[in-house]
Amino acid sequence: MNSTNRAANRLLIFVCGLLLLVVGAAAAAAVLVPFVRDAWKDTSGQVTDQVASWLEQTQLSGLGVSWILIAVVALLVIAIIALIVFISRQGRGHTGIALTDPTSEHGSTVIESSVAEHALKDALDAHSEFVGSHVSTYKVRRTPVLKVSVTCRRGVSPKDAAAIVESKLHALDELLGRELPALIQISGGFRARVTKTTRLQ
Amino acid sequence: MSSDNKALYARISRRETHSPRSLLAIVLAVVLIIVFAWVGTEVVIALLGLPALLVAPSDMFASALGLAEQPAGIVAAAGIVAAVIGLVLIILSLSPGRRARHVIDTERAATVVDNEVIASALARHASYAGNVDPDNTTVSVSHRRAVVDLTPTSGIPANRDDVTEAVTAQLDAYGLRPTVRARVQIAEKAKVGA
Repeated sequence: MNSTNRAANRLLIFVCGLLLLVVGAAAAAAVLVPFVRDAWKDTSGQVTDQVASWLEQTQLSGLGVSWILIAVVALLVIAIIALIVFISRQGRGHTGIALTDPTSEHGSTVIESSVAEHALKDALDAHSEFVGSHVSTYKVRRTPVLKVSVTCRRGVSPKDAAAIVESKLHALDELLGRELPALIQISGGFRARVTKTTRLQ
Repeated sequence: MSSDNKALYARISRRETHSPRSLLAIVLAVVLIIVFAWVGTEVVIALLGLPALLVAPSDMFASALGLAEQPAGIVAAAGIVAAVIGLVLIILSLSPGRRARHVIDTERAATVVDNEVIASALARHASYAGNVDPDNTTVSVSHRRAVVDLTPTSGIPANRDDVTEAVTAQLDAYGLRPTVRARVQIAEKAKVGA
């Protein structure tokens, strides 16, 4: 329901995995395979000289340090900021507005999502099939969508549970005069396991 | 349901039945932030000419290049562990990451049900059809299969066909996507007084 960028999550995991795989395999090969070991020893000297000469050539006058190192620090800072933004983007997408009517000559109407949330929660809490319920509103593709999650008592048929929630949604449609898209999530969990079995058939 | 909503519901159902891999991504991002912050701090400290916190950047560079001269056992073990972790991460990033949930066909809303709820509803009907105490009924529901295990009470035989019929009728009524097929197993040894 939320607007988490799942492709970005998977991309980050993939890149980290690929990096670990390549570095790990290279390190293992460098000590285990004689051919790779010799090649590694030959090139490591050259690389050291090359990097040392780069650092020499790029010295900033007056400071005595290479700008490459400063650029490395800047890149690391940018990467850290990007990762913090990435983490903060997870699980977003809640919205406080369920309906916005276009402005007419009499003014405009905005219905907050808490109206729908409270109405549904009150109606669902009266049913003994459910141990608990939670209603929230998310924006999916710029459309507000209700998420109704209910925790069922043991043995309640999922079809019956869905039918009860749907009847409440229909009642809400009447009330609002508009159909809000909705997701019904029927779950069990710890609270369902420790409560009494349903007596409904 | 308008066709507009259909696409929306398809998207929501797909996202609700698959893992976003958020936890793993956040853990990796935090580890990367810590490593980057540490390396950045070491570089700045080295530029200022102060003693290093843990390892100076020049030493990091030299030891990475001089890997082949280090003790082979430790480097090989560490490399293989890193490669295996990398492989696991690649597999996790590409696998679908299905959650233990099914989609139910409903007309007004998109509906997802935990497999646990399906199992407990099936257990109630199976115990009723098999004349078995609900506590002696175990049901496990996976992506395409529901396995019902019954332990009958001694002296009261449980009819396998009745149980299969009841469970199949329930599964058909739910209209799960993907469809789930039932398999009923009745224990050979019954329990006394159960």
